[in-house]
Amino acid sequence: MSREDLDRRVLEWIGEGAAAPPDDERFDRLARDLFAYQYAHNLPYRKLCELAGRGPDQVSHWREIPAAPTGAFKEARLATFPPEREVRAFRTSGSTTQRRGLSSLDTLDLYEASSLASFGAFVCPDLERTRFAVLAPDATAAPDSSLSHMFEVAVREFGNTHSHFFVGAQGWDPDALIRDLESTREPVAVVGTAFAFVHLIDRLEERSEVLELPPGSRAMETGGFKGRSRELSRDELHDAISLQLGVGRERIVNQYGMCELASQYYEPTLRTGVPTRAKQAPPWLRTRVVDPETLEELSAGASGMLVHYDLANTGSVLAVQTSDLGRLGPEGLEVLGRLEGAEARGCSIAADALLAGTNPGA
Amino acid sequence: MPELEQLRTARAKLWDDPGAEARVIAALDGALGLWASADSEWRARLLEGQTLYSGAVLELGLVRGIAHWTADRMRELRARELPGDTRVPAVTALWLAGSIPPAMFPAMLLSLLAGSALQVKPPSGDPHSPELFARSIREVDAGVADCIAITHSRDAFRNADALIAHGSDETLSLLRGNFPDCRPFVGHGHKLSIAAVGRDADLEAAASAVALDAALWDGRGCLSPAWVWIEDPQSTRAERFCDALARAFARLARELPRGELSAAEQAWVRDSRARMAVRERSRIWTSESGGRPDTAWTVALEARTNFALPGMLRTLSVVRVPDAAGVVERCAALAPHLSCIGHCGWGTRTEFLEEAVQKGMGSRLCPSGTMQFPPLDWKHDGHAPLASLRLPDASPARQAELP
Repeated sequence: MSREDLDRRVLEWIGEGAAAPPDDERFDRLARDLFAYQYAHNLPYRKLCELAGRGPDQVSHWREIPAAPTGAFKEARLATFPPEREVRAFRTSGSTTQRRGLSSLDTLDLYEASSLASFGAFVCPDLERTRFAVLAPDATAAPDSSLSHMFEVAVREFGNTHSHFFVGAQGWDPDALIRDLESTREPVAVVGTAFAFVHLIDRLEERSEVLELPPGSRAMETGGFKGRSRELSRDELHDAISLQLGVGRERIVNQYGMCELASQYYEPTLRTGVPTRAKQAPPWLRTRVVDPETLEELSAGASGMLVHYDLANTGSVLAVQTSDLGRLGPEGLEVLGRLEGAEARGCSIAADALLAGTNPGA
Repeated sequence: MPELEQLRTARAKLWDDPGAEARVIAALDGALGLWASADSEWRARLLEGQTLYSGAVLELGLVRGIAHWTADRMRELRARELPGDTRVPAVTALWLAGSIPPAMFPAMLLSLLAGSALQVKPPSGDPHSPELFARSIREVDAGVADCIAITHSRDAFRNADALIAHGSDETLSLLRGNFPDCRPFVGHGHKLSIAAVGRDADLEAAASAVALDAALWDGRGCLSPAWVWIEDPQSTRAERFCDALARAFARLARELPRGELSAAEQAWVRDSRARMAVRERSRIWTSESGGRPDTAWTVALEARTNFALPGMLRTLSVVRVPDAAGVVERCAALAPHLSCIGHCGWGTRTEFLEEAVQKGMGSRLCPSGTMQFPPLDWKHDGHAPLASLRLPDASPARQAELP
């Protein structure tokens, strides 16, 4: 099976839309074909498979495919193609004292097709084009941000000429956004990082202002706070967005994604009209909830560590093990937090913080 | 501040007696004896109250850890560091961190030995060990134990006469900022240690010693080796050392089983193992159960010479260095974070390591296999154990400020 064949099969599925019904057999067949290809062509990933004692001959179902922990993306280029074919590199967010994960792409076709399919289905299910106010830098200001790229593609596909990115490489001015939102008479989709929404909310509170965005407006937020703003629960954040922007809770959604994945989960609130914490994925993205110690899959409803299987990751690794905690229920995936703070019970120093600047031979 | 006043009163009552030093040393020595005895009920109680470490780790770590804290050593230390009428704070607040009992006990013991009363804030990860140690002292001498108060208040330290704080840099900074400048403050930030294996090492013996250092307290402590730097100019010994280290870890997994890991720690081990495994030309050895890798231990041999991920929780990276200068270069890069250098196989060449420590690259040099058993007179992070609490000679004006 060639890479072109695999890409074509995945793109065909994506072309059927994010709301297409799940197809277990199709997912399994494609996942195992993709695994065999990645095992053969992605040598760092192959080392992880060998460590787990599983290659294509030992895998009879997609659930048995070994996953690459996100940390591996910080140490090696996990790609099925040589570096000279790279067209784009996305990096995980993080401070200058942290190593950042790398996602290397030799084509943007799958990333863009998958992102757009879900964005359209979950953020713009009821409209063709709208005004976007983006609380994130554009791809020129942040070329290694997968989120910025996704927003840029989404604005190109779904945005009208009044759409604007309000964050630059050096930061942003919430007052400029507030002026823009105050002046608009057309529905607006305010999309961006969760911490930028907090900055916006805090600024509106400082100004003792409450906006009332035009009917049809919506908000989409994503990501954590990472020490860049005060922290709010998702419910608190959505309540605050609803209150300060005048957007109903049934028009606010959270997206869950990561740099290492080409596809994303979304709350289906704008499709159903009912606020929910359970997120849904397109049929080419699936998730297992596993016990962190044994990596055994947990029963439905139990909370554990999330392992994602994204068929749109053809050029890297389809199976990615996260440090996120969550549970799968009948309504979808609930993300409950992160498995962090391994250093907290000892007195040794945090690893990534230490590694910055301590490499004499590097 | 009734607690503080009670401590001052108890301390005055104890230390106004000319025989106080002998009495305190006898009490501390007696309490340590209770912990070290063959069937110590105090160790049993400690074991009952926690699940973080296996019984075997607690037994070995505690018994060997306190074995050389003898009455003679305490007397010598006092004579050396607090001669004559040296003044010390009446009440020292002790802000503890981490989860390793033998790291908390000396902190308490030394302040009492110095002549302070103690206000102890236990770490959230182990609220019981300081309380148990205080109770064991009470069993020997209630008058000495009256000089200890365990508090869970996060503000109690503010009115103490000195503060010894353990914790992250952020915690230390916060505590220092909330403590009067004119009173002694001793900070012990989070640190790590390394093992340096020279070309003369017997690889099996060296691996056993390094594995013990890493296995005790499951690699959570600042005295746990985070890396092994092995002198290997020919690039052949390091691989054999890793084989031996893997065998030693496997043996210790039976003899000194690891305690329970939290879900976050399990995830950290898996993530770190993957990070080690995918690094270019690295090689990895892992524990298994039922034919599948588990998280009991990990050894990684690094092909790169730069820093790999520091080890913890019985994961350990082995990095080749060409010679002694390579060790010093890395120690220098780590200097602000380095606590202890464990060594083996350097023969008569250990002088370069002694010089490194003298230059501030770590505060302790010891043979591998003994990293977790620091002596009582260890200048932890460069602070003299008792003399760091000395107050300046009292002038009339100064005396008015001090208790």
